[in-house]
Amino acid sequence: MKRFLFVAVLALVLAPAAAACNTHPTLAAMEGQIMCPVCGTTLDQSDSPAARQIERVIARRIAAGDSDCQIKDRLAAQYGEAILAAPPRKGFGLLAWWLPIGGIALVGALLAVGAWRWSRRAPAEEVAVDPSQNGRGALDPALERRVDEELARFDG
Amino acid sequence: MTRRLWLVAEAFAVALVAALLALLIWRVVHGNGGSVSGALAAGKHPAAPSFDLTRLDGKGRIDLASVRGRKPVVLDFWASWCVPCIQESRRLQRAHEQYGDSVAFIGVDTKDYSPDARSWLRKHGITYPSVHDGSGSVLNRWEGQTLLPSIFFVNRKGDVVGRLQVEEDLQRYLRQISES
Repeated sequence: MKRFLFVAVLALVLAPAAAACNTHPTLAAMEGQIMCPVCGTTLDQSDSPAARQIERVIARRIAAGDSDCQIKDRLAAQYGEAILAAPPRKGFGLLAWWLPIGGIALVGALLAVGAWRWSRRAPAEEVAVDPSQNGRGALDPALERRVDEELARFDG
Repeated sequence: MTRRLWLVAEAFAVALVAALLALLIWRVVHGNGGSVSGALAAGKHPAAPSFDLTRLDGKGRIDLASVRGRKPVVLDFWASWCVPCIQESRRLQRAHEQYGDSVAFIGVDTKDYSPDARSWLRKHGITYPSVHDGSGSVLNRWEGQTLLPSIFFVNRKGDVVGRLQVEEDLQRYLRQISES
């Protein structure tokens, strides 16, 4: 349980750092973060004219000194949010980042509570077992008498 | 109580899966049938879906609903990265010079970077107005997929009468809608 809390707190602490803008982006890095609007893949996996056009735009904006956030904002304004390979870390997009973490935390908590309750359950009372019965119930008296007679005859 | 809760949770999970399955089936069955192109292929002439988009030349917006019913419309979906769009837009430009008084020509620049699109218009001498559909949502409603160039013809009543498929369609549909 403590380990889960540690991971959750660590994620909270690291989230703003991950969301920080890169002031010196490279075209190669950005190609994996931007979608080709006509092929459903990121730019680095597409060779379509639309993808090439966006790469030229990115290269021009990098040369003009834009950060990756500025370039993404510009492209999102032109093509819509769907142009970003990952949802933005703000507004409604935050939900996509936090929902999986919340889901994992919830499942972890449920498992932890379940394990705790299971470990605290009182052990069931042991039933006294007669070894001669070999785990079965008592024999019918008529059958037992018959077995005894057969054994006596065998011994005799 | 716990058992009842479990039953409710199970019923909820089953209902959720059933709803997702129904959504998937609906999507597969309908596919592009909801688009104008799909309706035309089925022999229908649907009312032109409206849009309200920013003009590339910066002179405000164009609302198709405000044109519909007053003038026939030729709608040209294009993009500056689309090579075949150059020839089609040039042909439409010539048609615009011939029919421009009686027919409204509107370009819809789709999934494109608007500064590049403006340069493209200047370079190829296209003078009829174009609007910017960056996300491609308008194209998706009309064509059902990213297919460029796509040219539609809307009569004066606001019904889509056809979509350009072969070169000869241009003059045929232009005559048809300009007389509507």
